[in-house]
Amino acid sequence: MSGDEVNPAAVAKPVEDAQGDDRWMSQHIRFVQECKDAEPDVLFVGDSMIQLMKQYEVWRELFSPLHALNFGIGGDNTCNVLWRLQNGELDNIRPKVVVLWVGTNNHQHTAEQVAGGVHAIAQLLTSRLPKAKIVVLGLLPRGERPNPLREKNAAVNEILCDSLPRLGRAQLLDVSREFVHSDGAISPQDMFDFLHLTPTGYRTLSKPLSDLLLQILEEKPGERRAPLV
Amino acid sequence: MSAEDSNPAATPTLREDIEGDARWMSLHNRFVSDSKDKEPDVLFVGDSLIQLLHQFGIWRQLFSPLHALNFGVGGDATQHVLWRLSNGELDNISPKVVVLWVGTFNYAHTPEQICGGIMAIVQVIKNKLPNSRTVVLGLLPRGKSPNLRRERNAAVNQLVQEAVTSLPHASFLNVDPGFVHSNGSISHQDMYDYLHLTPQGFQAVCDPLHAHLKTMLEKPAEN
Ligand SMILES: [Ca+2]
Repeated sequence: MSGDEVNPAAVAKPVEDAQGDDRWMSQHIRFVQECKDAEPDVLFVGDSMIQLMKQYEVWRELFSPLHALNFGIGGDNTCNVLWRLQNGELDNIRPKVVVLWVGTNNHQHTAEQVAGGVHAIAQLLTSRLPKAKIVVLGLLPRGERPNPLREKNAAVNEILCDSLPRLGRAQLLDVSREFVHSDGAISPQDMFDFLHLTPTGYRTLSKPLSDLLLQILEEKPGERRAPLV
Repeated sequence: MSAEDSNPAATPTLREDIEGDARWMSLHNRFVSDSKDKEPDVLFVGDSLIQLLHQFGIWRQLFSPLHALNFGVGGDATQHVLWRLSNGELDNISPKVVVLWVGTFNYAHTPEQICGGIMAIVQVIKNKLPNSRTVVLGLLPRGKSPNLRRERNAAVNQLVQEAVTSLPHASFLNVDPGFVHSNGSISHQDMYDYLHLTPQGFQAVCDPLHAHLKTMLEKPAEN
């Protein structure tokens, strides 16, 4: 893609309330409010992969003690996250680390566009939060058997692995290889619907992620503070 | 052709693989193969609210001991559950009770159509499992503030409740412990996205449901 073309995955866009219950906007407004009440050291932003993490034990065990906020919304793509961050979800907070996980829901976009969208969000984060480090989680493979979406997500990761370091304070954490067995299958023990993680699946991700966050925060596991929320 | 025949919510329908990773069919195939080597006493069938329940500790705590299987698929509407149950998921098991929770994802359908879809599922269960009884769980309110979806789900509940009254093999159970506060709002402590339940929300729903199932399993003749 040339620099002049507009990348549709990097255009900020709210989610239309197609279902008529206004749930997306209600969540966004709640997150903006949380920014006013909390002083997170770590901000998690993204889609259902981020959102669901908060419902499991692993959140209270490993991430909540780091003073973490969770701004995950199921179904979000890069455009939606970009819009949320440009419309209040970064106001009033100064997290030391942002964990970004989004892109697997960008169904209408190419791998190059998705990677560009994630990169644009990381760029916004580095400019809005001049001291924060950005950890982008690599997209996971999906579907029980090999399929084009797995290839696309792998291609997104490959591009991000090259592009993110150029931002200086951003890096990719990619654990996607851990989930595909030698026969090419993904186990429902790891992803209950071959996309979303089980508690076991989150364990696989959480250890390296938690280690990296602690390293960035220069905090030893024995010195955790009280949970934020 | 009767009105029922033209109800899209009561017409068995494959979920199209729009995304291209075949996850829906993978889940269906897994359920069919699961059903071949398990002998569940209780079968949970439905959408993401059923599916997500399986991921939390409360499932192992309350329902695994009842010998329960979970055939929940995120996003399923009545016509999708109807297709799954008509295509193998009930062929190798004979649970005593089927817990059915579906309908909140029937976005394009009227309350009458959704009720028709639920009753069509109840009928398929009756045909395939003549000795089982079905408990239809009431649809929960959704959205942080009052909205049309809440009203529609409440209308579905009323219709289903009336429709199952005369059926000896089916009953309706309202599992809403009062998620809507006096100011009309639903808390994210109960529904994290104002639709899906948190572990706390599931606890409030599942304690009475568990007691109800225990009673049903102990007194097979009553309904
Ligand atoms: Ca009855």
